[in-house]
Amino acid sequence: MKPNKLMIAVIALATVLASCTKLNESLNSSLTNTQTANALGAQGVALLLQAAYADVGGPFTAQDLVFSLQENTTDESLVPTRGGDWDDNGVWRVVHNHTWNANHSQVLNVFNALNKLNFDATNVLAFKPSDAQASQAKFLRALSLYYLLDLYNQYPFRNPGDNLLNAPEVKTGAAASQFIIDELTGAMANLPTTGGPSVATQDAAKVLLMKTYLNRGMFANRTAPTFADADMQQVITLGNQIISGGKYSFASEYFNNFIAGNNGGPESIFAYANASGVSANNSGINGRWCMTTHYNTNASKAPNAGWNGFSTIGDFYNSFGASTAMVGVNNFAADNSGLYKDTAVDKRIGGRYYKGLTDVIGMKPGFLIGQQFNADGTKQKDRKGAPLAFDPTIASTMIETGANLEVTGIRIVKYVPDVASGDYWGGPAGNWLQIFRYSDVVLMVAEAKMRAAAADNAGALVLVNSLRAARGAAALASLPLVNKTNVDDPNTLLAERGRELYWESVRRTDLLRFGVFNVIWQYKPTDDSHYNVFPIPAQALASNPNLKQNPGYAN
Amino acid sequence: MKNTKIFITKAFSIGFLLLLAFSQVFSQTKTITGKITDSKDGSPIVGATVQPKGTKNGTSTGADGSFSLTVGANVTTLVVTSVGFDRKEINVADASAISLVASNSNLNEVVIIGYGGVRKKDVTGAVASIQAKNFNKGTVASPDQLLQSKIAGVLVTVNSGEPGAGTTVQVRGTSSLRANNNPLYVIDGVPLDGRNAEPGNSNGDGATPSSNPLLFINPNDIQSIDVLKDASSAAIYGSRAANGVIAITLKKGSAGPTKIDLNTSFGRFAGYMKRFDVLKRSEFINALTKYGGASSLNYGGNVDALKDIASSSWSSAYNMALSGGNESGKYRASFYANNTEGFVKGTGLQKYIGTFNGTERLLDKKLTLDFNMIAGSVPHNFGYVFNTTGSAGNLISSALQWNPTQSYRDASGNFIFPTNGTPNPLALIDGIHDKATTTTILGNISGAYKILPNLEYKMLYAINHSEGNRNVNYEGWLQGFNAISGKGLAAIANARLNSQTFTHTLNYMVDLTKKLHLNALLGYEYWKSDYSIDAQSANTFNTNLTQATRIPILYTSIFQDAKVQNPHQSYADPTTELQSYFARGIFNWDDKYLVTATVRRDGSSKFGSNNRYGTFPSFAALWRTSNEDFMKDNRLFTNLAVRGSWGITGSQEFPAGSSLEQFAFSAYNTAGQVNVLNPDLKWEQTKSTNFGLDFGILKGRVYGSFDYYHKNTTNLLYQGSAIQPAPATSVWLNLPANLINKGYEIAVGATVIQNKDFGVDMSFNWAHNDNKLTNFNQAAILSGQVNGQGVSGSFSELITNNQPLLAYYLKPFQGFDQTGNQKIGDNPQFGGDPNPHNMYGATVTVRYKKFEFVANGGGASGYMVYNNTATSVTNIAGIIQGRNIDKNAYNSAEKASSGVAASNRFLEKGNFFKLRNATITYNAGNIGKFVKNSSIYVTGSNLFVITKFSGFDPEVNIDKSNGGYPSKSIEYIPYPTARTIVIGINLSLF
Repeated sequence: MKPNKLMIAVIALATVLASCTKLNESLNSSLTNTQTANALGAQGVALLLQAAYADVGGPFTAQDLVFSLQENTTDESLVPTRGGDWDDNGVWRVVHNHTWNANHSQVLNVFNALNKLNFDATNVLAFKPSDAQASQAKFLRALSLYYLLDLYNQYPFRNPGDNLLNAPEVKTGAAASQFIIDELTGAMANLPTTGGPSVATQDAAKVLLMKTYLNRGMFANRTAPTFADADMQQVITLGNQIISGGKYSFASEYFNNFIAGNNGGPESIFAYANASGVSANNSGINGRWCMTTHYNTNASKAPNAGWNGFSTIGDFYNSFGASTAMVGVNNFAADNSGLYKDTAVDKRIGGRYYKGLTDVIGMKPGFLIGQQFNADGTKQKDRKGAPLAFDPTIASTMIETGANLEVTGIRIVKYVPDVASGDYWGGPAGNWLQIFRYSDVVLMVAEAKMRAAAADNAGALVLVNSLRAARGAAALASLPLVNKTNVDDPNTLLAERGRELYWESVRRTDLLRFGVFNVIWQYKPTDDSHYNVFPIPAQALASNPNLKQNPGYAN
Repeated sequence: MKNTKIFITKAFSIGFLLLLAFSQVFSQTKTITGKITDSKDGSPIVGATVQPKGTKNGTSTGADGSFSLTVGANVTTLVVTSVGFDRKEINVADASAISLVASNSNLNEVVIIGYGGVRKKDVTGAVASIQAKNFNKGTVASPDQLLQSKIAGVLVTVNSGEPGAGTTVQVRGTSSLRANNNPLYVIDGVPLDGRNAEPGNSNGDGATPSSNPLLFINPNDIQSIDVLKDASSAAIYGSRAANGVIAITLKKGSAGPTKIDLNTSFGRFAGYMKRFDVLKRSEFINALTKYGGASSLNYGGNVDALKDIASSSWSSAYNMALSGGNESGKYRASFYANNTEGFVKGTGLQKYIGTFNGTERLLDKKLTLDFNMIAGSVPHNFGYVFNTTGSAGNLISSALQWNPTQSYRDASGNFIFPTNGTPNPLALIDGIHDKATTTTILGNISGAYKILPNLEYKMLYAINHSEGNRNVNYEGWLQGFNAISGKGLAAIANARLNSQTFTHTLNYMVDLTKKLHLNALLGYEYWKSDYSIDAQSANTFNTNLTQATRIPILYTSIFQDAKVQNPHQSYADPTTELQSYFARGIFNWDDKYLVTATVRRDGSSKFGSNNRYGTFPSFAALWRTSNEDFMKDNRLFTNLAVRGSWGITGSQEFPAGSSLEQFAFSAYNTAGQVNVLNPDLKWEQTKSTNFGLDFGILKGRVYGSFDYYHKNTTNLLYQGSAIQPAPATSVWLNLPANLINKGYEIAVGATVIQNKDFGVDMSFNWAHNDNKLTNFNQAAILSGQVNGQGVSGSFSELITNNQPLLAYYLKPFQGFDQTGNQKIGDNPQFGGDPNPHNMYGATVTVRYKKFEFVANGGGASGYMVYNNTATSVTNIAGIIQGRNIDKNAYNSAEKASSGVAASNRFLEKGNFFKLRNATITYNAGNIGKFVKNSSIYVTGSNLFVITKFSGFDPEVNIDKSNGGYPSKSIEYIPYPTARTIVIGINLSLF
């Protein structure tokens, strides 16, 4: 062996080894924290804030997220299993039955989606936002926290810049409500006064404050809510500021609130913007009609004109009438128009000719019941060729096995399908998603007046009747809050809220606040009070030891 | 086809030019003829090379062992070489009858163990090797399929019957909690990325089936495939070896005259290997009556949609290779053109691959330069088939559900779109154009310099660049298949994958004492990989909206015509860098005691800054008992060795950037954090132990090996639940659990009969594996999505403690109630293992004179398959809408109103045996002056399957992963497996 040559080789190799890299990963299309802060500057904060705004679309648009937990758990909505469709591992039935557990997929997905908003809004605060940006971020975070509190009775909370591998603190009880109120109150002055409804204005913050004050007593005691007079006075004060501000008015036609191309309309205080033909970053507002319409509802789209799922129940439908069961069924005109004969009936029930929809596909927005027609007056048929006539009776087990399984259940089309050129039925429709609406403000003020220490029932009635007048409904002579044995008793404020705000994701909160979430209604037996709050999802509980499982649920 | 022809013409022209360039003309003065036989039994040796000593001129023997060679008058000595036999020099006068002595062929085969090959007898770990001569004939889509049923403990599942479909390759069970985790592929010393530049079709129809990343390799170029199974052999690849290593060695030129190999084959289908049993027309009509379907649903026609979607076109493949060289320089070039029709009309795979490699020895043979170049273009036409299709279904579901009494077209020739939610399968074939073209270049160059006769320094640089383009068109006149019906959709995606390897090694071989031999290796490697993709989609076109107004134009050619233009999106993954230091020593004491020690230290940019480096040691020892003095007199064993090994391998196959805080731009003018900083993220480790025994008895006529192994994978890289509030629902973590795989493998081969005219060889392998997850102390994870109408959110498999990975976990089926509705219990229960416990394969070769018959088959047992197709596609509810249903449902007490639900009713035993390949070859031998070694063969693939599984193919693995967790053994409206027949001709020209 020649050692000198060996040495040369070893030295050569050592040189190679010495030239090695540090292995610092270059990100290519993503950015580091520092790059985000430095390179983008103020514009970067705007992009971060926009991400938080975009997060609102996800949980509130999809039919299987907040909507499902807030509506399918109530008398307003359910999803019967129809033969080979909508079993979906039983998720829909347990939601309506109140037999869910901590492994329910929707309970998990809502928790994660709301916390994504929570995270992205908090993140804005870590990047030196302007006062206006910080306030909007705080509003969006408060929106997330409010819904988390309502649904789960606690929420995790991170400060900007926290180590994300550490379990965050969890706020619960009175402190949780108070934090939301403090945040909104603190942010108020720097929020914009114009630019709504897709931007967090002062009015939007006031509505969220009203909701927090109004429900604070319920959050504190969900089995027997009590309402502090101070909270009710706050609701009244804030509500009156919005009402007297004069920016909002009742729409001339109820369903105009839910059409494409009107940027939310005159009642909209906070909404998620959509545009016809522009894809959304969420499941799409078109789901709001597809989820309920029959496969053949729109002849030009059959058999993909709907998913034939969500329905409402007969008792809820009847809460529109004085006493007659199935108020609308016998009131259709005999001809193919399917119009209500009785024009005095509350217009919010729908069933009337609606230009731009009925003349295009024959549909009349609102409650779909009985025979459905095409635009040319011909009768629509289901996939077996039987008449497409929605039957109010749903199987008591919520499992449809009969010959009519495709047509059971009354359907609700509240968002008027964007049928412009026939394009946006199943695609990127332009209806703005209503999150806070003026009529809710009016009804909340009325409710607070009735719940105040010195109840002002007359003042409340004036407000309610002003709304009813705008909706073509007769004035009410008296108005109790609730009938605790019948949630669908038409002559109550709870029913009025149902008639006005049905399928707008407030019903579960309402039933809880009126103390009737555990009573029976159609297809739902009485249930235990632990269902007044959803369980902390098993996955979340496993990853954050600061979360405590809600009473009554297995870990 | 037109393009194919042009391509072939070009390829062959280039080939002949090269041929001319390399050929040399010799003066001819005398002709020598002779015959070469095996010394053992006198059987002819085919393909032996005969050369005048000291020249590169020469010939090879034909099927009868004879040769004829014209040499210069002054030639006195011939050199005869043949693989598996000792080299022989012979005087020209004795050339008429030459017998060669078999070398101890099995033991002298070179096996690739990473950064060099060793003789098989020096291998101390568990390495299995398969040579080109043992490959199945016929059209092979990807090299890993050549391993099917051939190697004990290597489970190769082609995910579906689609040509070019991805494969799931598991070496000794699954040791990963991540979807799509395959072994490391190494081509001629160059480790591949494992990903594929072929973009998916992400238009909301469900996950796209993955394609095989090895499609760019010409199967005719492969010399051998080695599978490194245990840690001792794989640990030299350290961080990337935990799922096993598959090393592919390409054919090289050899010293000798210029040689041209030509292969061509033509294939076509012979029906389904197995049909999914839906109702025949007459049964369907009965069913309408039985279940109260409207009589109007009997349209009076008579069609068989499964038959009508099947292609009857011919596939073809052309391959030409030329090679040659002399003592100092060798080369080989090959050209391959292949058009593989898909069994489903409108689908298929084409390949245009050129391979060129060469070796040159310079500077007194001290310097060896090698280069390899593969350039391949693979156009791939897809059908409308997806893994996780929802209620809209796919092409296969539409064929299964199609009403057998309904015609596809109306009287005026337009497609009929039924109103029952089933798309028209022929319209889907006609109106959907989904094509990807992936072009891959793999090039490497290496230089090795012998600093001392026994000390060699080698440097290798390799680049692997791949570009994929995908154009998707859904024509607007299509109705009834998804939400985009009637509008039209187009999408274009382009992806790039680029990886580079630099390797420096120093190899030192020395006899430390008279008996102790050392083979030492020291090395450094740097590997870097980048991936980027951009994509654009649009919908709602103005053209092709009705069948009557169709024009032959693709939307992807007129993108601007769309009313809805989705934003153009582009992403570049973080760069992955890997740098490694490694050393290996193989100590051989007198060919009796062998010890191999390996250590590799890897640093990966993917890991957290606190844990970038990992160390992967291994040790192995072998005792060749048959070389001991006390065994000298034994007549039974020609070879007997016992082996043991222990080692650690790692894995880093997870997304780059996962340990870093990342902010990303998204559409809609947003930016936000997308990943959580985790500086502690570290290597996944697999500790494995292996005990083995190799034997050869009866003069090597029966040989085999037995292995027992135990693998324990810890610090499993997986996507844990992020702690909310968080930027995403999951975060990459190391799971403190143990995933255990243990089992044994048996491989036995035998030469049963060996006569001059008649021979029989048999080989058999068997492997058993048990898989279990232990110390998993957290919430169970659901995976194995069940898809289709009415079963959204249902899962079939569970990752949980003390169960095999992905154990089935389903609600119990409790029969039917009085009204014929299925009853399903509320609480899911465990329902068996989707991972096969036993895998086996067998090959029989029968040779009679010039005929040879080879049959190869195999199977698996001890596992269950979930039939998602029967759950939600062919379930009984469809009959009322006039959709076809499966025979099991029809024969049951079930009523049409019965609900749909995922349950253990659809869990079936997967046990199967498949005759994978049977080939009859006629070795015509030499024809005329120039044609040598010609043969013609007929081969059948997937000829039959024996199974009780009711779906298309029990060997199925539709990717039903959930959130990155894998799934296993689920069938869901897959691209069916076809039986194919191929006729081919092979010959060489000298």
